[in-house]
Amino acid sequence: MTAAKTMKHKISQMAVTAMAVALLGACTTPPPPPPPQLSYVTLLPSPDGSIGKVVVQGQRGEQLLTQAQQGVFLDGSKPPFAVSAEQLERDFGASMKARPALPEQFLLYFEQGGTQLTAESKSLLARIVERALARLAVDMSVIGHSDTQGAANANEALALKRATAIAEQLRGLGLKDTVMVIESHGERNLLVPTPDDTAEPRNRRVEITLR
Amino acid sequence: MITSNKAMRSFAAGILAAMATTAFAQTPAATVGYVKTVTGQAWVTTIGQRVPAVPGTAIMIGSQLKTQPQSTLGVTFKDNTVMSFGPDTELTVDDYLYEPAQGQLKLGSSLAKGSLNYVSGVIAKLKPDAVTVKTPTGIIGVRGTQFVARVEEVK
Repeated sequence: MTAAKTMKHKISQMAVTAMAVALLGACTTPPPPPPPQLSYVTLLPSPDGSIGKVVVQGQRGEQLLTQAQQGVFLDGSKPPFAVSAEQLERDFGASMKARPALPEQFLLYFEQGGTQLTAESKSLLARIVERALARLAVDMSVIGHSDTQGAANANEALALKRATAIAEQLRGLGLKDTVMVIESHGERNLLVPTPDDTAEPRNRRVEITLR
Repeated sequence: MITSNKAMRSFAAGILAAMATTAFAQTPAATVGYVKTVTGQAWVTTIGQRVPAVPGTAIMIGSQLKTQPQSTLGVTFKDNTVMSFGPDTELTVDDYLYEPAQGQLKLGSSLAKGSLNYVSGVIAKLKPDAVTVKTPTGIIGVRGTQFVARVEEVK
């Protein structure tokens, strides 16, 4: 065999090998990569500092987020990844800035059996009005509660009387046009669990939420 | 006699009107939340009726919330859930049930595109699996927390 012939043979061998590799490659090459994924969710701490969980049930899998600043694609295709502060700001800065003031809650307590506020709670009314007026387009709920002393239906009515009395006082103090939802939970929603027919000052209350 | 009847009727009508006004002001039946913040231009569409979002605009079941480019919107629901949206966002309130005494709690929404900041309220606290946000590729379930989500529109 001449040197030239050997060379030719080698080249054709190489060509066959290259083709085989290319063919093999074509068979095992994964489908073209999906377009970059920009749909994702990121877990953040709650305003009170606690960290809950987010579950994603996607078309391509299920994922769970348990740590702050962990993100995951919404199709569930990949495990969670870390999201930088810069990325959060870029993708969510505007929506986070638009967040309304978080709701505020106040508890007012009553003397036994009627709609008379305790002295301490009475002094809170002006503060509630001030906080309400400081909010943009405030709406509020005024929910009356009783303790378990006496009959349940009488307590239902008493708690409504309490809520209504407080709402009227707040209207008189400057919240004339504020949207108020007034409700009674009677003795069904105790702050401090007690047996039936128990006087408990902490259960005789009106809960006010400013939103 | 006729006069007094008439007076009676208009008196009754007056009472009814007053009751209706009071009912509306105190317990807006189908209202589940209110717009609190707006920058730029945003819209609320309820039962085919589109109104510009301003602080105080009512949100109801079925309402579609939409922000224009370079605009934002923030809403607070009855159960203290807070949601705010970045530019070019579309979210629909599919379900809302808030009857804690009856254990009826649900907040279902769909985010078609854009960005959302969610802070959980009482519904997520009392019934963790009652809050969902549907997106075109997956469903977000919430277990009492804050999160941000972004949906890139499929073109």
